[in-house]
Amino acid sequence: MRSLVQKALRVRELPVFIFLILVAVVTGTANHAFFTLSGLQDVLLGVAVIATLAVAQTLVIVMKHIDLSVGSTIGFTAYVLGASSSWGHGLWWGLGVSLGIGLLVGALNGFMVAYLKLPSLVVTLATLYIVRGIFNEIAAGDSITEDRVPRAINFLGLNTFYGIPLIFIIAFALMLVVGFIMKRVRAARDLYAIGSNLPAAELAGIPVARRVFLAFLATGAISGLAGVLLLARFNTAAANSGTGLELNVVAACVVGGVAIAGGIGTAYGAVIGAVLLQTITLALGALGIPQFWQLAINGLLLIAAISLDRYLSSRVKPTSIMGSN
Amino acid sequence: MKKFNFAWEHGVVVFLICVIGAGSLMSPYFATTDNLSFVLQDVGEIAIIALAMTYLIIAGEIDLSVASTLNLSSAALGFAFRNGISFEVSIVIGLLVGLICGLINGYLVTIIGLPSLAVTIGTLALYRGLAYALLGNEPVNELPDAWINLGVTNIPNTFLPWSVIPLAVLGAIAWVVLHYTRIGRWTFAIGINAEAAKFSGIPVARMKLALFAATGLMSGVAGVVYTLRFASASPDGAVGYELGVIAAVLFGGVAIAGGVGSLWGVLAAVLSLGAIRSALQLADFSANALLVVSGALLLVSVVVPRAIVIYKGRRKSVVANK
Repeated sequence: MRSLVQKALRVRELPVFIFLILVAVVTGTANHAFFTLSGLQDVLLGVAVIATLAVAQTLVIVMKHIDLSVGSTIGFTAYVLGASSSWGHGLWWGLGVSLGIGLLVGALNGFMVAYLKLPSLVVTLATLYIVRGIFNEIAAGDSITEDRVPRAINFLGLNTFYGIPLIFIIAFALMLVVGFIMKRVRAARDLYAIGSNLPAAELAGIPVARRVFLAFLATGAISGLAGVLLLARFNTAAANSGTGLELNVVAACVVGGVAIAGGIGTAYGAVIGAVLLQTITLALGALGIPQFWQLAINGLLLIAAISLDRYLSSRVKPTSIMGSN
Repeated sequence: MKKFNFAWEHGVVVFLICVIGAGSLMSPYFATTDNLSFVLQDVGEIAIIALAMTYLIIAGEIDLSVASTLNLSSAALGFAFRNGISFEVSIVIGLLVGLICGLINGYLVTIIGLPSLAVTIGTLALYRGLAYALLGNEPVNELPDAWINLGVTNIPNTFLPWSVIPLAVLGAIAWVVLHYTRIGRWTFAIGINAEAAKFSGIPVARMKLALFAATGLMSGVAGVVYTLRFASASPDGAVGYELGVIAAVLFGGVAIAGGVGSLWGVLAAVLSLGAIRSALQLADFSANALLVVSGALLLVSVVVPRAIVIYKGRRKSVVANK
């Protein structure tokens, strides 16, 4: 029994989870509407997209890399899915193209980072621009309105299963799959090794380049398919869809204990981080705090989370922008 | 015989000349003084912030909060002026707010020891959020005409916009300090190996704190320029500028890993991006083309040096094998 408690105390995600419960309880007592089913649904609906992208981003961040291009990719594929019917194609075509776009962007990022050994921050910043530019050129001022959203995607966005929004169930399922793989599959365990000590990982015989490439490919593919969720959530898509999401996603990961310095963190943590940020956003509204403060408080929370993490861990001081080596 | 060492920055300058040549061929309006004035005004804020960002990236750090800092100092300026403080004092307040923002970033990175990438994503949200909290939904538009005119007119009898003055003065200072003083050499030393720099007696933490503070102050200056140019202080201005600044600095030959870079390379890169933007606009390309071109240039700026290293490495090993 004691060992179970000790084990639980060592779980990195625990403080964030407790904080999440605390925020929910405080808000719920102050405003009872927050604890209703619709309050919960608001949180889960709002968090599905960020949670999905955060799960994908975890694969990259544990390797001490970063993928800033996800916001452009998801916006692009949300638009493609919405526009596929007016281009004379069905939903499956749209899904195929979305996956293709995600794989292409992921492969491009992965190739340059893994095989050309270029810094991921620069590479994915560049693909952020390029993908957004191509997307906007294709969209050319067109926006997807509700009547053009495929019925199946519309259905996903509007319906619940036992009260839980379908798009959150998709995000949750993805979290379970990725979380399991990152815990149990050796190739995915290698990502942690690469992130915590790259030279050691190479010496241990891990095919680093291949692993890095595949992780970026997976992140791209998930971000591409996540266009379904973005379209389902908002029922619209336009040239600015997904803009700036990359920073929210990284914030969710960091708050959820996925260290930007690499080697630490889980998909579960990333989702908890995303849920916490979303809960606080909605809690501020429920507590009557002007929504202008939301962004500022999100920022403060992110800083508090990494400060706390720094305080709790006895790792050396960071020596690069990505943290300690 | 001294061998001419062709650096990346030379490539950027050649590129700038090519863009100007191509732009002039594409549109007769491109090479006019009117257009030059427009381009200089257009790149003003990015150029001013890039001066400081160059130092920061050379020292191995990064600041993603610069656009939010710009915005918060603009908002503080507007807020102070709306509450009856004279415009001149409001400008000083705006600059101070920028400086404080930079100090907060620097404090979190150097004293608390947090990674700057994560910290400045946090302060990116924080500063932008504070700007919203400060101004709410009401941008400040009633600014004194005499000051606003500075933002949109040229220096009398020239084709240069007024924003060139702070840019030229600050640019000259930044250039001299980076390449001809101890502080500049320290900046490079920290970027190459912070540990070694520390043991050589360089006050690494204090230097980094100062660089963050300087970046905040430059963002504040850019905030004032921005406010005058758009004759308004609003909480939603300059969104995404941070990526533009970083793209320009990296394209200018500063290595993201730190330790490498030059100020004239960065300035040439800022001008190149401004010139391309103008050329594409005049040639009726959409704004999207500019996004793609910016991204492509950013990629080129990391791929080409890397390719040269690989090529040289191969040649060396061939020589060694013989």
